[in-house]
Amino acid sequence: MDFSYSEEQRMLTDSLRRLVADAWTRPKRRARLGGLDAGAWSSLVELGVGGLMVPEEFGGFGETPATMLAVHQELGRGLVSEPTISSAVMAVTLLGHCNNETLKKRWLSAHAEGDAVLALGWQEQGERDAQRPLCTRATAMADGYTLDGQKILVWHGAAANGVIVSALLEGEPALFMVEQGATGLSVEDFPTFDGGRAATLRFDRVSVGKDQLIAKGEQAQALLALAIDFGITALCAQACGAMAALTDSTIQYLKTRKQFGQPLAAFQVLQHRLGDMLIQSEMGLSMTYAATIGLAEQEPAKRARLVSMAKIEVAAAARFVGESAVQLHGGMGVTDEMEVGDFFKRLTYVDLLLGDTNYHLQRLQDLTV
Amino acid sequence: MDLTWTPEERAFREEVRAFVEAKLPANLRAKTFAHHRLKREDYVTWHRLLATQGWGAPSWPIEYGGTGWNPLQRLIFEIECFKAGAPRLLPFGLGMIGPVLMKYGSQAQKDRFLSRIITVEDWWCQGYSEPGSGSDLASLNTRAERVGDRYIINGQKTWTTLAHHADWMFCLARTDATAKAQRGISMILIDMKQPGVEVRPIKTLDGSAEVNEVWLENVEAPLENLIGEENAGWTYAKYLLGHERSGIAGIGHCHRELAILKSLAERMMASGESVSLNPRVRDSINRVEAQVLALEMMVLRVAADETTEPGPKASILKIRGSELQMELATLQMQVAGAESWPYDPEWMFAESAFHGPGPEYAAAAAAAYFDMRKTAIYGGTNEVQKGIIAKQIIGV
Repeated sequence: MDFSYSEEQRMLTDSLRRLVADAWTRPKRRARLGGLDAGAWSSLVELGVGGLMVPEEFGGFGETPATMLAVHQELGRGLVSEPTISSAVMAVTLLGHCNNETLKKRWLSAHAEGDAVLALGWQEQGERDAQRPLCTRATAMADGYTLDGQKILVWHGAAANGVIVSALLEGEPALFMVEQGATGLSVEDFPTFDGGRAATLRFDRVSVGKDQLIAKGEQAQALLALAIDFGITALCAQACGAMAALTDSTIQYLKTRKQFGQPLAAFQVLQHRLGDMLIQSEMGLSMTYAATIGLAEQEPAKRARLVSMAKIEVAAAARFVGESAVQLHGGMGVTDEMEVGDFFKRLTYVDLLLGDTNYHLQRLQDLTV
Repeated sequence: MDLTWTPEERAFREEVRAFVEAKLPANLRAKTFAHHRLKREDYVTWHRLLATQGWGAPSWPIEYGGTGWNPLQRLIFEIECFKAGAPRLLPFGLGMIGPVLMKYGSQAQKDRFLSRIITVEDWWCQGYSEPGSGSDLASLNTRAERVGDRYIINGQKTWTTLAHHADWMFCLARTDATAKAQRGISMILIDMKQPGVEVRPIKTLDGSAEVNEVWLENVEAPLENLIGEENAGWTYAKYLLGHERSGIAGIGHCHRELAILKSLAERMMASGESVSLNPRVRDSINRVEAQVLALEMMVLRVAADETTEPGPKASILKIRGSELQMELATLQMQVAGAESWPYDPEWMFAESAFHGPGPEYAAAAAAAYFDMRKTAIYGGTNEVQKGIIAKQIIGV
């Protein structure tokens, strides 16, 4: 076990920190609201974000979860809202571990090159927690499959060139790749409260070829669970980066803003709140290390246990740090004028996405029975 | 960064586990798991078993009789020992005065004292706090007056843990009454077995008396018992406190108490079924387990970063470590419920058989809860720690 960054990890995170500080300033972020900005995405891909988790044989870096942790902390610092988690971690991890060589060749190197963005659709109306498809169905045809149904809350669903979709095939869960623009696929794109995008995807007799089946049965469920657990860990890492950056900027604000003839930072009650923010950030990061170790577990239940624990604890820390930062900024904290609000919103989604705290507490209970 | 355990690290864990399994006396293990208070000979027995194995000073360099282990090995050792029910290692010699002697002590002091710490031939206690000087330690009033070839020391120390067993005290005393606060303080080693030293127990909330008041009346110490330079004691005192804080996370303790909590929840019955089946209890246990894992990673991160000063992270460890020790005790008491109400001090000290109405394993839960409140207070209260964190991160 070695906690110090390797030379490569140091260089990579340094470059990302510089890029993000320069190109993800608040005005530049705001100017890009509305869809995936090709320039922003390709600048991330150039530094290796697109190929980070792509196996080397498909032109990626095949990096370890530890490097993923380091990279996503930097992305979180900059409030990067591009599909770094949904595509570069979740979809890539899922495809990278499947046995469909055709799809791996078709998508993985393109992803590493920045020529493809992927999305993952598994949630359904009224079933946001279910990892098994319920209403989306696939029917086997002579030359492939026909998909019918709907997926909700597909992160960057409209920006994706290909979408991985779960559906019931002969009563069993299965995963398919559907290309954007397929006949019968309609995409309803909408903004999210953190300045990102998500979509509802509707499938009306969408035909896909035989080789678009990624996996089925137990294997499909295992792949989806793996992808979500990797996604949660990256989400936690981004939350940690955001918490650290927000704590820093709150310190700066308290040193500058004066009331009663002295800087706010001189008041003990505010100092202690800052101390609590740092404690929560650091414990959240430590918990994320534990989840990262969990990703290497061969036994899915052990992995799930550590990842769920991290999700719960980091979400709680994120809420505390976000709410505290708003409070310490006083009236300015509730305006839409300052960066603190953007961080607060980003930290708020940590609990909600990829299974909320209630879901993960239940998952822990189910795992320990 | 490589977040996987190496084969060497795994093998080391197995080696420690096997040793503790084979050598830890069953009665000691039973006592710690029952939260019985330990006696002097319990500690000494365990220290000497470790010393025989060459593991008597896990955090010391080899030249002083230590193991030379790296921080990761020390952490693995601590966790495995605690999980198996071993007594904690006495911190006063190994973690406090030992490192001070290594850094600031004279050769004669090193030769005389260090090896005797490992085998507990000398039992040390910490003469820091005074009735009027708790968090504000630098305001202390104990005086050491130089008379010929010795110091004559007068004053009162308090909260002196296990002083009733101690052979020696490392004592902070004022050697220059005119100097302000931190300046004018010296660190002096005092033989506790001499006239004028009086140790009076302080009974605490759990009914035990591990801490004491120590009265020093015309107590003598030869000049060679001064650490470093006269009036520079504050530097050594701070160095020592830095060591105390990083060990104060109590990660081994937390792991053991988590295991006790789980086993208690399995065995306690309520509404005709095991308390461990209650979903609210299970949520609480899962959350505290997550927090213990996070603390462990935090300890590892701080330990691995030995090159730099621990900075605010040492205070974070102190705060979170104490909060978790308290939380684990609270949960144990809640899991035991009303069955933790009966309390028999004689049983707590393993001096009588158990007579309570409920199961014996529930009997110590409330006492442990009362006892653990101290963790947020000693070693610099958690509020003092937050002040330290704020100072360091704000940079004022």
